[in-house]
Amino acid sequence: MSLRKLSKNYGPHRALVDVDLDIEPGEVFGYLGPNGAGKTTTIRVLLGLLRPTAGEARVLGMDSWRDSVRVHARTGYVPGDPGLWEKLTGTDTISYLARLRDDPAQVGRGRDIADRLGLELDRPVRALSRGNRQKLVIVQAFMGEPELAVLDEPTSGLDPLVQRELHAMVRELTSRGGTVLLSSHVLDDVQRTADRVGVIRSGRLVAVERLEDLRAKALHHVVARFASPVSPALFERIPNIAGLTCADESMVCRVPERSLDATLKVLAGVSVVDVSITEADLEEMFLAYYGEAETSAA
Amino acid sequence: MRPEVTIQTLHAQRRSLLAWALALGGLIAIYVAVYPSVKGTGSSFSKLIDEMPRAYRALFTTGSGIDFSTPAGYLNTELLTFMGPVVVLLYAVNAGAAAIAGEEEHRTLELMMVNTASRRRILLEKAAALAVGVALLMVSMWAWLLIEGRIAGMDVPLTNSAAAMLHLGLLGIEFGAIALLVGALTGRVGTSRSIAAALAVLAYLVNGLAPLVGWLKPIRKASPFFQYIGHDPLRTGASWPALGVTLGSIVVIVCAAVVALQHRDIGT
Repeated sequence: MSLRKLSKNYGPHRALVDVDLDIEPGEVFGYLGPNGAGKTTTIRVLLGLLRPTAGEARVLGMDSWRDSVRVHARTGYVPGDPGLWEKLTGTDTISYLARLRDDPAQVGRGRDIADRLGLELDRPVRALSRGNRQKLVIVQAFMGEPELAVLDEPTSGLDPLVQRELHAMVRELTSRGGTVLLSSHVLDDVQRTADRVGVIRSGRLVAVERLEDLRAKALHHVVARFASPVSPALFERIPNIAGLTCADESMVCRVPERSLDATLKVLAGVSVVDVSITEADLEEMFLAYYGEAETSAA
Repeated sequence: MRPEVTIQTLHAQRRSLLAWALALGGLIAIYVAVYPSVKGTGSSFSKLIDEMPRAYRALFTTGSGIDFSTPAGYLNTELLTFMGPVVVLLYAVNAGAAAIAGEEEHRTLELMMVNTASRRRILLEKAAALAVGVALLMVSMWAWLLIEGRIAGMDVPLTNSAAAMLHLGLLGIEFGAIALLVGALTGRVGTSRSIAAALAVLAYLVNGLAPLVGWLKPIRKASPFFQYIGHDPLRTGASWPALGVTLGSIVVIVCAAVVALQHRDIGT
């Protein structure tokens, strides 16, 4: 999959600006960003639902807009805000979609996946909970044994056991050489499966990193209280420390994960009364690392 | 490749189609039951109507005059001029608006698309479903006319009533196709429904008032209602030129809808 200078405008609003990105076969690419950043727009362009304003998107070697039907034949899609036919049962739904794909054999595979996710297919969609609707959408995306799975916030509404099952399905797909694009606004969602992560803010792809590198950058809040006053100079030696405030017997700061060890070693040298270390949320991390990129480009 | 979208659409409508067909049966039963009493007072009723304002007469008889002495004249005025088209257009415009815009608003259009249904396929199969749905209603309406007419001892002309149903069905499909086109352009059910309904009212008025209003006369033939009933199909049978114009319009509208859907962003 490759995006070249891909842009999409809605009237005056620039939803995507010059996005360049390549995703290799066998790779799970995590697509991260706050809500409204352009994740879903990217995905809908890739699937030929939206027409690029400029640039091009090639999927499985084909043009996403002109060859969309041929792309769809090899793709499974879990939409972020899925619609289903309320009156149809799960079985009706997957059988209709399998007939559209002209491959009735998919119904059997759909049943297997539904079993795996713990979804009953004989109830009408309108009687299904949000989580069960999401399962049905996942079933239809995977029953065609796609080469490419495009998953837009796929774990929303799913309990942890089902999330784990979905992650297993993603790994099975990539072990067969398939490719997965997984979008989310929470790091936790992608860090279990993704090989690389792209970060999008306000329509611009501001970073593409290996997951390990991103993990190393994951910010942690450190709050400590001491038995006696401590000099700030002690902490300023910690690499990449930010937001440091020392007041008499307490200290607050932010450090990336890779500096945690250094932080703990400094703390070990003084007498600590209390300490807490919590992971900052993704939004804060975006602001810390990628906020500048956005302002300078805009 | 089987027309899965058409089959699925009609399958989803099966109960509502049955309800529409039964409603038509009830409507026709009322008209048929009333006929003997109207027939008896035929001349005085005609006289009463003759005394009404010309505009009223023009609108509710669409120019062909009132003749309650024959079943054909009675049905033409009472059923085919107003209530029949209202029922058929209600169904057709709703079905046309639901076809693309309804699926898009429910976000099921994209589910069909990503499961390899092309935009053109979806649109053409939805248009086919609209045509079949209207055709089913027209067949049921025709059957009700013949059956209930026979029970009431009313002589409904067999082929001419079939011709009238054919013309009425095409009228319905034409406005259904307009709703389909607006849906393909906008993806909005409400917009599709109201534009198609407004155009239907406009076309009805143009056809009905043209005999009275000079400047409307030249455009009367452009009204689908003129193609439908201007030649009084219940008395004269099918009109090939009118069928040609209507079918041609439907084809043009559906083609425009295909092009519209193929160029549009879905679900924005």
